[in-house]
Amino acid sequence: MPLTQASSALHLKNATPGFLSTPGRAPTSVTVHPVALFAILDHYLRRTDAQERVIGTLLGTRSDTGEIEVRSAFAVLHSETAEQVAVDMDYHHQMYELHHKVNSKEVIVGWYSTGSNLNTYSALIQNFYTQETAPHQAIHLALDTGVEEGKKAGVKAYISSPVGVSPKPENCVFVPLPVELKFSEQERSGLDLLSNVASGSSDVFPATDLDILERALDNVSDMLDRVLSYVRSVLAGEVKGDAAVGRYLFDTFGASTEELEKGAFNSSLQDTLMVSYLANLVRSQAEVSSRLALTRAS
Amino acid sequence: MAAAIAASLPAPQSAPTPAQPIYEAIPASMSKAIDLESDIPLTHVQLDGIVVSKIIKHSREAHGTSAHGVLLGLDLDGTLEVSNSFPLPHHVADDDDKSVKGVARYQASMLRSLKEVQGDDSIVGFYQAMSMGSFYNQTLVETQAVQQDKLRHGGIVVVHDISRTARGNAAFRAFRLTRAFLDAFKRNNFSTDSLISHRLTFSSILEEIPIKIRTNPLLGAFLETLTTPLPSEAGDLKPSSAVESAALPPSFSVLNLGTSNTAKNLEQVVEALDAYKTEEGNLAYNLRQIAREKAKADAYVQKRKDENASRVAQGLAPLPEEDVGRLFKIPPEPSRLESMLLLGRIDAYAKTLEETASVGLVKMYAARGNSIA
Repeated sequence: MPLTQASSALHLKNATPGFLSTPGRAPTSVTVHPVALFAILDHYLRRTDAQERVIGTLLGTRSDTGEIEVRSAFAVLHSETAEQVAVDMDYHHQMYELHHKVNSKEVIVGWYSTGSNLNTYSALIQNFYTQETAPHQAIHLALDTGVEEGKKAGVKAYISSPVGVSPKPENCVFVPLPVELKFSEQERSGLDLLSNVASGSSDVFPATDLDILERALDNVSDMLDRVLSYVRSVLAGEVKGDAAVGRYLFDTFGASTEELEKGAFNSSLQDTLMVSYLANLVRSQAEVSSRLALTRAS
Repeated sequence: MAAAIAASLPAPQSAPTPAQPIYEAIPASMSKAIDLESDIPLTHVQLDGIVVSKIIKHSREAHGTSAHGVLLGLDLDGTLEVSNSFPLPHHVADDDDKSVKGVARYQASMLRSLKEVQGDDSIVGFYQAMSMGSFYNQTLVETQAVQQDKLRHGGIVVVHDISRTARGNAAFRAFRLTRAFLDAFKRNNFSTDSLISHRLTFSSILEEIPIKIRTNPLLGAFLETLTTPLPSEAGDLKPSSAVESAALPPSFSVLNLGTSNTAKNLEQVVEALDAYKTEEGNLAYNLRQIAREKAKADAYVQKRKDENASRVAQGLAPLPEEDVGRLFKIPPEPSRLESMLLLGRIDAYAKTLEETASVGLVKMYAARGNSIA
């Protein structure tokens, strides 16, 4: 799932970095976990007034195929002035140690900054992180928070390539990489919950499973209504029918439900009712038992 | 050029602090009187979006239900705002003393580090992953009881149900120990009498505090961009591609008919029942033991009394009353804590089972309605 608007530009493979011999494949694509994004946003919120942007370290895993998975991120202190940029390396190392204790699979893969401004300092920080991730290449994740006017929120990833006749740390080309958001099915429900809250819905929390199911069914029913009204208007000749849409509708509604024949349905129904009955029985027994424990044996 | 990466950041005090008000240290004797917030009872727990996603990630990656960590935040006006969290390392059972120290050191340095980047650094509670709705166990209860004195409001525990989250309902609940339980725990007395006087059953060990979820505006805006489909470039060739171009497409996984977890859930109910039966057996054995010893002691006392009566009747001096307690060892009444917790676990498993069954029923009828029509 792409994070930014698809661009027509090709994603160039980074050519040989020249002086740096890289074992394994160079990074070809980046996937980002929502947790990492949220951590970056949180760090951005907690910045001091003097800070234009915030930077931090990205942790994640590398695969053999050159795919980099960014799993989490932590903030790193830094200061930028007109003359110099400083990164608190001690802090970075200490935090990495702490994170490493909990999750030993995650290693440093690169760094993030907010805002999409790539400058000389970016190149210097990139150079620093390349030393950290050596022999692999470090990636740089630029997250646009969408706070500044005229800029849309989005995420871009880069790897660096030295440029110039004699490579210097402050000169490099940032080559863009494709970024995607990635999360597991378990995290999906958490994201749903958050986006529900963010869109200002007033659902009670914690919702029961039935509430969630009801919401999903309502949603489906709305979509069916929309499709139905479209089909009606096509039949009435108000709108010209789209063949592709028709084909998709046919595929969707032609789905067979034969496995739900009567026999299978009834036996499954019996099972479910039995389970429900058992569960209730166990619960009431447990309740009775706990009450009995409160009586004196006399 | 002058730019250079300094090896380490000099103390970030370059910015002149503009006439900061000077807070004088509050004397220890006054701190209780000034700390008004701790008198306001907690009514809500508010979880930030980042905490929600961090807990889900950690629970998913840790094996089983071993994931636990620390919640950071502050309490304000009866609402406990949890704004950050970090996981605690999973420690193995052996060399306990060392691992406890390690965890404490880890916690301290993590807090120090978070403070440096303007993060919240006051512990307000813990989180714990669970499966199938069951989270009652001795360690959880004991940790909470120990923390009760250290943290304001006694600390809360947020439990996260992995199995339910996998079914599409991110489940978080906040609890704290009830007064009755704490009182019994402090006296370390879970005998029948104590349970009766405290009116303790498994449902009154913990009290639930309602949870609110909050996303800060920045996160909300970002999520909004993720859920809005991006306009696709090459015309609307395929309806499917038009939908999937959003980074966070709508999901309907809750509509899946499969009830894969039911078998495992049933197994867990049976396991818990077995464990409870064993525990009850132990208790009954202990009680019988006590009754036997008591009967012996009583018989001895009675015998001595009869003997004395006959001696007095014969005009002899009565034998001294001996200390019965020293002669017969009456074992203390067994603690019923474990059996109570097991009952709680059974109840929780059964409740989850019930919910799955009811949802399954609804889905089945929904699917059949389709096939008939």
